Amino acid sequence: MEPVLNAEEPKPFAIKKTRTRFLGLTLDETIQTFFGGNAFVAVIVLALITLFLVKEGAQFFTQNRASMTVYRQAGLEYVDLMRQQEEDHIALTRYLFDVRMQAIRQYTDAEGLPLADANARLVAFDEWSGQYSDAIEPVRGLVSELTDVASAIKTKFTIAEDKAIERAQLLDEGKTEEAAAVVIETVDFKTELAVLTGTLPMFKEASVDFAGQLTALLPTAPAFSDAVLQARMDRFVALTRQYLDGFPEVVRRMETWDFEEPIPLARSFTGFIFGRQWLTASFWQDWYGVIPLFVGSLMVSAVALTLAIPLGVGAAIYVNQIATAREQRLIKPCIEFIAAIPSVVLGFFGIAVLGEALRALSQFENLHWIPGFPIAERLNALTAGCLLALIAVPTIFTLAEDALNNVPRAFREASFALGATRLQTIVKITIPASLSGIVSAVLLGFGRVIGETMVVLLCAGNRIAIPDFTAGVTVFFQPVHTMTGIIAQEMGEVVRGSIHYRALFMVGLVLFVIALLINFIAQKIVRRYRISIG
Amino acid sequence: MVTTRTASVSLAPMDSTPSAAPARAINVPQRNEPAGSARTLIEISNLDFFYGAKQALFDNTLMLDEKRVTAFIGPSGCGKSTLLRCLNRMNDLIDGTSIKRGTIKIRGVDIYQPDVDVIELRKRVGMVFQKSNPFPKSIYENITYGLRIQGIQSKSRLDEVVERSLRGAALWDEVKDRLHESGLSLSGGQQQRLCIARAIAVEPEIILMDEPCSALDPIATAKVEELIHELKKQFTIIIVTHSMQQAARVSDKTAFFYIGKLDEYDDTRTIFMNPKNAQTEAYVSGRFG
Ligand SMILES: Nc1ncnc2c1ncn2[C@@H]1O[C@H](COP(=O)(O)OP(=O)(O)OP(=O)(O)O)[C@@H](O)[C@H]1O
Ligand SMILES: [Mg+2]
Repeated sequence: MEPVLNAEEPKPFAIKKTRTRFLGLTLDETIQTFFGGNAFVAVIVLALITLFLVKEGAQFFTQNRASMTVYRQAGLEYVDLMRQQEEDHIALTRYLFDVRMQAIRQYTDAEGLPLADANARLVAFDEWSGQYSDAIEPVRGLVSELTDVASAIKTKFTIAEDKAIERAQLLDEGKTEEAAAVVIETVDFKTELAVLTGTLPMFKEASVDFAGQLTALLPTAPAFSDAVLQARMDRFVALTRQYLDGFPEVVRRMETWDFEEPIPLARSFTGFIFGRQWLTASFWQDWYGVIPLFVGSLMVSAVALTLAIPLGVGAAIYVNQIATAREQRLIKPCIEFIAAIPSVVLGFFGIAVLGEALRALSQFENLHWIPGFPIAERLNALTAGCLLALIAVPTIFTLAEDALNNVPRAFREASFALGATRLQTIVKITIPASLSGIVSAVLLGFGRVIGETMVVLLCAGNRIAIPDFTAGVTVFFQPVHTMTGIIAQEMGEVVRGSIHYRALFMVGLVLFVIALLINFIAQKIVRRYRISIG
Repeated sequence: MVTTRTASVSLAPMDSTPSAAPARAINVPQRNEPAGSARTLIEISNLDFFYGAKQALFDNTLMLDEKRVTAFIGPSGCGKSTLLRCLNRMNDLIDGTSIKRGTIKIRGVDIYQPDVDVIELRKRVGMVFQKSNPFPKSIYENITYGLRIQGIQSKSRLDEVVERSLRGAALWDEVKDRLHESGLSLSGGQQQRLCIARAIAVEPEIILMDEPCSALDPIATAKVEELIHELKKQFTIIIVTHSMQQAARVSDKTAFFYIGKLDEYDDTRTIFMNPKNAQTEAYVSGRFG
């Protein structure tokens, strides 16, 4: 025995932290702070972006209200009431012209007449339609006169405002004398407008005269032997009647029109959200309605998704369920590589190749049965949509493939063991089990597409107008402008802080909200799907 | 692969009276069918099976009886599942698998001939998996799946099959009021019986079971075992199990595999009471496995 052992000191129970500290943190804590910090930065950045967008965008509404107020006070609104009558008439004449085109086609194509003969047949028609379109003259003259008056008032007011700003600036800089020298002419709307409103009796007279002419013309409307043409002509007469019935209402609105009636802030909001015109740098009045852009974005997205969903989901199903390992190794990187192509290159390709090819294709005689062929515009919603589809395919493919992969192998095995074929297993088990994942893949593809800028800017044709949906499917051959495109195109040129600048911010905000919504819904769906798989 | 198993075999089997033979801890119940009373249904001869270049089964030959329960036992990785999955060609779904030699005949027909319709084969050879895998569909749809993919749509026919299969799987009384709830809402044991019901709904001749009770508690296990006894009146059953008691309780014949080879194959009673092979003896008495 060795008693020495007992005499030894007991070993200390060393459990205290002895780690080195860095700024008072242990290594573990430092790493934690680093990662936590990074995650936090993302949250803060998102919050800042939201805040910035809202802050810059929100002032749009007050500015838009101010702009709409001037529109009213300077009498532009009043003139537009009259102008509406003129524009409706123009639309009707256009309809008439359309009927003429159809008649010519009917005579030359179906009946085989030479063009000269066809025109000869329409002499009476032309005579009549000439009278119809000239009937507006008295109203038109008045409108164009008053247009000048109203815009003069507006200009006067704008100059006065500019001067006021100039003076304020000078005062700010301490140049009191110069400031005092700035002459500000105050605009008294009431007296200025007297000229405008004083013309009401004239307008009434002109309008009655005009209505009388039209009413007199209607019974002598030219008749066609062809049933289709006659039906269109009847419709035209009915439309004109309807138009005439609206005259008293125009007058009533002009009589009750009050330049001092305030514009509610909500009007400024609805004017943006539901506004059907995006018109900037106009001599008359600027309008910031998001609808044409929104519709454009939706249309290109619709085209893109129509193409990308079958392509992306189909490829995902093939690669995940059917392809051999070698095919998988070939297809997957190829599709994923598409995502790496810079979108400006795709846009360039769209202009140079796809747009040209589509147009060339549409020139083929044999393809003229396709509605809309030959196409008038090389760059249109379809061209942009096709390229956007390319952008959406990798997103949809990758996420859908993930969703398919998440379907437990056991489901498939059970299905096979019950004597199901591969196709039955895919259709009845794998796809339903991954459906929510696929749906959210599609949603995120949609998000990707609606946010894409370069391709649409280059290939969508950039015409700011709601496309003519009466054209049926050929509406997709019309050029459109998009929410992303307009921001990219106009942001560089606008004056900071101007109403136009803020309007672009509002468009950005709309995009942001859409993206947020899409992501939110996609996440919701995925979460549901996780639970259902259990 | 050899792992030590601590005295698990010395536990008395669930449905038996305390064992009277301490030397042989496994109690083989009397209801096992006597040897030689059945016709051969499946003939496996000289089977060599490969996963790619790796051989998993070596020269296996054995005959399986009709309307009997045959148990496959053996240490983990010895190829029980592999052989089982050869019988309905589930291994075809794994890339690179091949049978380099040997045949499997069911009622005299070689199931690996090129003119065999695998889909038809799988309708006749059903399978129950180790982990219960009901589809994320209703109980009703789970059971009718196999019939619907065969194109059977008649509601009355489907209703009838659902009831018959669920009764057959001893599940009817528990779920008859909730047939349209999700199959995943059932307990683990119920899910496994649902899978059995699903398998018998297509009226196979043979049912393959790969460790059907390994995820179940003793009570659910007892229910499934009871069910197997019932099922063998109609079906030929082949069951892979790691539980010696289970093999003893449910099977008529037992095959013991060791590293891809059939080591011993005989009446269950013989395997457990009087094995010829030393390895078998060691395994069934729990000395390795
Ligand atoms: N998909 C596969 N690919 C390659 N090798 C495999 C595959 N599946 C099984 N193996 C191998 O084949 C051999 C037999 O496997 P098997 O699954 O048949 O064993 P088992 O007896 O069922 O084992 P356990 O009792 O653990 O289920 C093992 O060595 C295994 O590693
Ligand atoms: Mg196994």
